[in-house]
Amino acid sequence: MSIQEQYRKRAAELLASGEVKIIIGYGAGSTPDRRRALFIRSAEDAGLLQVDQACDANLSGYLVSEGLLSDRKKVGIFLRPEGIRSVNILAAESQLDPLQIVILGFSDENGSLTPLQGSSVSDFSALISTLKERRSTPEEQELVEKIEGMTPEERFAFWQAEFAKCIKCYACRQVCPMCYCKRCIVDNNQPQWVQTSSHTLGNFEWNLVRAFHLSGRCVECGGCDRACPVNIPLRLINRRMAQEVLEAFDYFSGMSHTQEPVLASFKKDDPETFIL
Amino acid sequence: MTKILLRDRLDDCITRWHAAGFEVIGPVSKNNISQFAAIEKADELDLGAILPGRTLKDLFFPQTEPMFRYRIGKQQIDTEEYLPPERQRIVFGARPCDASAMAIDDPLFGWDYKDSYWFRRRNETVIVTIACTAADEFCMCTSLKLAPDSTLGSDILLRPLEGNRGWLVEELSQRGSEALSRIEALLEKEAAKPLPPADVPVKFDLEACREWLQNPENFESHFWKEISMRCIGCGTCTFLCPTCHCFDFQDEGDTYTGIRRKNWDSCSFALFTMHTSGHNPRSTQSARWRQRIMHKFNYFPGKFSLNSCSGCGRCTRECPVDMGITETLQEITKLSK
Amino acid sequence: MTDNTQNGQENIYRPAIMNVVGKRDEAPGVKTLRLEFQDPVEHERFRQTYRTGMFGLYGIFGEGESTFCVASPETRKEYIECTFRQSGRVTSSLASAEVGDLVTYRGPYGNRFPIEEFYGKNLLFIAGGIALPPTRSVIWSCLDQRDKFGRVTIVYGARTVADLVYKHELEEWQNRSDIELVLTVDPGGESPDWQHRVGFVPSVLEEAAPSPDNCVAVLCGPPVMIKFTLISLGKLGFNEEHVYTTLENRMKCGVGKCGRCNVGSVYICKEGPVFTAAEVARMPAGDL
Repeated sequence: MSIQEQYRKRAAELLASGEVKIIIGYGAGSTPDRRRALFIRSAEDAGLLQVDQACDANLSGYLVSEGLLSDRKKVGIFLRPEGIRSVNILAAESQLDPLQIVILGFSDENGSLTPLQGSSVSDFSALISTLKERRSTPEEQELVEKIEGMTPEERFAFWQAEFAKCIKCYACRQVCPMCYCKRCIVDNNQPQWVQTSSHTLGNFEWNLVRAFHLSGRCVECGGCDRACPVNIPLRLINRRMAQEVLEAFDYFSGMSHTQEPVLASFKKDDPETFIL
Repeated sequence: MTKILLRDRLDDCITRWHAAGFEVIGPVSKNNISQFAAIEKADELDLGAILPGRTLKDLFFPQTEPMFRYRIGKQQIDTEEYLPPERQRIVFGARPCDASAMAIDDPLFGWDYKDSYWFRRRNETVIVTIACTAADEFCMCTSLKLAPDSTLGSDILLRPLEGNRGWLVEELSQRGSEALSRIEALLEKEAAKPLPPADVPVKFDLEACREWLQNPENFESHFWKEISMRCIGCGTCTFLCPTCHCFDFQDEGDTYTGIRRKNWDSCSFALFTMHTSGHNPRSTQSARWRQRIMHKFNYFPGKFSLNSCSGCGRCTRECPVDMGITETLQEITKLSK
Repeated sequence: MTDNTQNGQENIYRPAIMNVVGKRDEAPGVKTLRLEFQDPVEHERFRQTYRTGMFGLYGIFGEGESTFCVASPETRKEYIECTFRQSGRVTSSLASAEVGDLVTYRGPYGNRFPIEEFYGKNLLFIAGGIALPPTRSVIWSCLDQRDKFGRVTIVYGARTVADLVYKHELEEWQNRSDIELVLTVDPGGESPDWQHRVGFVPSVLEEAAPSPDNCVAVLCGPPVMIKFTLISLGKLGFNEEHVYTTLENRMKCGVGKCGRCNVGSVYICKEGPVFTAAEVARMPAGDL
């Protein structure tokens, strides 16, 4: 049985038995190579679910949208390993109760999909530990090395040219499961911390603020990068911040639903005596 | 006898237009995005794409527009206007859907009060469109009663000739004729037959949709929640739409001086209609999606007899979650039958 | 002051500079500012265009603009009065403006109360809390030509005595023999020496029971008050075509372009803010 058939069956069972009220998965998109988020509530619709390589979006962001979980019922969701890390982070940051999440997990090893064993976040800790080692594709690595080989001036010019394209659509923020603030910092006007205009300053402010707010939290699902309509390589910034956090604090986000956020928690034996 | 412009004459055209005081702008692909930018030579143009990623509206309604500077003194406040400079421009190589979109927004920016920022730029710009001989699966101009060779909003329409050798020239307006007079000598008289325009299948029934949208009973239909469940509320569709025109004012500066700007805003954003009291008339994404569709295909045509959409398809092409108006209007077409 | 016209084309987004010539504390957090134009050309334009019901965008450079009605009537155009509650960035900044300071004003925009259609009729004004300002603009437009109208009844209520605005004018109206003033505060909002009624506006209105015959009602208040007052007016026999109200929504441009203030197909800044209750009933409630 293919993974798609296997998961359609599982989804139908979960809905028919009433264990979950809704399943968030992938369905056919507007073209053959596109997939879109699909929300199904009845077992008959399970046949609409697609599970294949093109299913790359991190759907975990939908878990915290508009009160989906407020009735305390369970929700099923298709997740890749990064998505499972996202759910862990959302749980650790008190945005959802992991007991409400039934995971239909799958991983993509060089084009072939394998289902992941387990259905609640605590079933995947071993898997996530292995993710700490494996992090980038050859194409990404090439661009990363190219940028890291630049002088600071060249690097600044590179990012200035990229950010000049930014139109402040906030697709990067909206698609990111970690960006769940009801009132984002750019939405505050007392004071207006981050300018909404798309000039050099406004664009740097936005992109850098977001990079910092995601440091130690981003799971590198690539959603922001795919979402950006003007093709800014956002993933590289977040990857660099994740690398910095790994090196400075030996911290990899999303390993468990009780893992404390690295930049929002303290230990009595921290080397610095104060926050600065 | 029809006139044609040969492709290898394009550099000369640009030179003559520059000499006549025009800035020449066209679709340029650079740094992984294609948008309208000023050019010096013809080989900078990317005329082969279906259409550029960013729209023509960038040239008339930029993402951020400084409106005026203010200087606050004790007894008086001085303001210095930043109206767009008087600068003649020729846009070479826009698609008919982009040009139509500018014509669609003219009655809005001129509704009783004229937006001088928009009209200054409109009055100084000649738009030369190139008819589409190819379309992709997202194009839907024909569903909006437009066409790959529409003339709405265009001053000169160029129809591609075979073998990529050039275009058949159609003068459409006074402004277009004046621009052509500068390059008259570079045009050839030839009874050329242009390539046929692209075949863009009609995807939804626009009239049926309008009727369905106008029916007050459908305002609260559960359809809106279902169709917009995956919408994440970013501004991609609105910012890459050539007709979308919502904006916000922002004052940037310090206590004594600054600039008041007009910036793009989006009805998809959660806080777009939020009152300071905390009340938000459109507090759910489905209400906001409904507003988008209603505005484009019901309210705007009700006021200006034009749909606020030219069928370019960028909303669906670029949407991070594969939404876009096509699917919604297709579903409404089904519901209306 | 630099010229506001450019090659004959006015910049519609450029505000007029106003001197603050008066300031009054109306209620906790609520202030009234009286403003005068610095530029006589702008003032003349205001005199030519302003009619009761229209609104303006009041602002401070560096903070932004906020929308309120013009609380002064069309019969008194030497100044502009605005009354607002301090709630966000712009209103907080306006609230700290003192006499002699400068603020900005853009307008007047919108439609008007058709006061001439009220000639010869009885007038019923109903307002709640901070919504007295737009009503007050109509009240004074009518009181300044008192003989053109029949009976004038004003029903006004607030949460507490302190929250009543225009207290000195309430006293003035109380003392006039040609106005019936019915004041109320919400249960629990009365002070020990409160002489007037206690109860929510809709029920007090029903007690006062003004006759709907040859009567026009002007009703302004928070949405929940409007909803219940309309029901009460219906019980009293009022036709929704003869009840006028004002709607407000978040605004930025005020001239129909920024796409923000519409309720259904109706743009509050262009086709409002004055509507009959019948017109409001035709708007989609889900957009209010």
